[in-house]
Amino acid sequence: MTLKVKFYSLFRINLKSAGTEYKLNSKITIAELIKKLDQDYDNYFTQKLLEEDRSISPGAIILVNGKNIIHLDKLETEITNKDTVTLFPPSAGG
Amino acid sequence: MKNYLQRQQELFTDKQQQRLEKLKVMIAGVGGLGTNQALQLQRIGVKKIYLYDYDQVEISNLNRQLCYGKNDIGRPKVEAAAEFLGKFELETEVIGINERISLETKIPNDVDIIFDGLDNFESRFILDQLAAENKLPFIHAGIEEFFAQIMLVLPESSLRLKDVFAGSKKQKLPAVFSPAVTVTASIQVLEALKYLLGFDNYLNNQLLYIDLFNNQIEKIDLS
Repeated sequence: MTLKVKFYSLFRINLKSAGTEYKLNSKITIAELIKKLDQDYDNYFTQKLLEEDRSISPGAIILVNGKNIIHLDKLETEITNKDTVTLFPPSAGG
Repeated sequence: MKNYLQRQQELFTDKQQQRLEKLKVMIAGVGGLGTNQALQLQRIGVKKIYLYDYDQVEISNLNRQLCYGKNDIGRPKVEAAAEFLGKFELETEVIGINERISLETKIPNDVDIIFDGLDNFESRFILDQLAAENKLPFIHAGIEEFFAQIMLVLPESSLRLKDVFAGSKKQKLPAVFSPAVTVTASIQVLEALKYLLGFDNYLNNQLLYIDLFNNQIEKIDLS
């Protein structure tokens, strides 16, 4: 079992990757996941997912098993090996 | 069956075709997505289309909003779109309502589904709330650059648009252009039809993610 992290839209294009997986030893939070991703992707995700005050950017959606973390424990939402985290910038236009 | 629909006859059962020709739809926002939805829905022979928008046609609309030309600049969108669609002399009734979507909006009582043709999440959350209050299905789409997402929200669904897109705000004017907008609106119409005509593979608690740059369409399970 691993933690699956899926990238969509511009994240996928910019990183030339559809996602990654981590084998975790224990639960981590989304904030800790972002630090892990930053190490692997040159600080990309802090820039894309967070505002300067470290709140969640209005230009990014973070889902844990299909649920927006805003409705869970936000950046303190805990995740573990069986979970799927989905990251994408929502398309707003029409 | 309307005589100009012969070529789609084999796609549907008689019952589905009859249902299709009785459909009454509301399009909220007659911009890029909304004009494309209206054109498709008229072509496939729905009975009635309500167009909602409060804006006038601007020059920046013309790269993707297919019901307008330069001569329409400054005209109310719903008036120009209804006139454009009327010129085809197909049998769909098109009713333009020059009104901004708000919580006070009265949804016509014969509507079968609401199409999202809006361009910002704040208005979409209001539209989703109206759909929930009126117990109507609502099909969302958003498009930016080569990327889009589509979500069908059913009347009985406890999962609403805000549950997925809470916190989303337009940060800058999104880049949008006709080919990607047209594909997205067409898939939105297809997905709505799958549900309305009783096919069993409609989007149910799923987000359809569309990447037209890499030719990838994927369903993301929501919970």
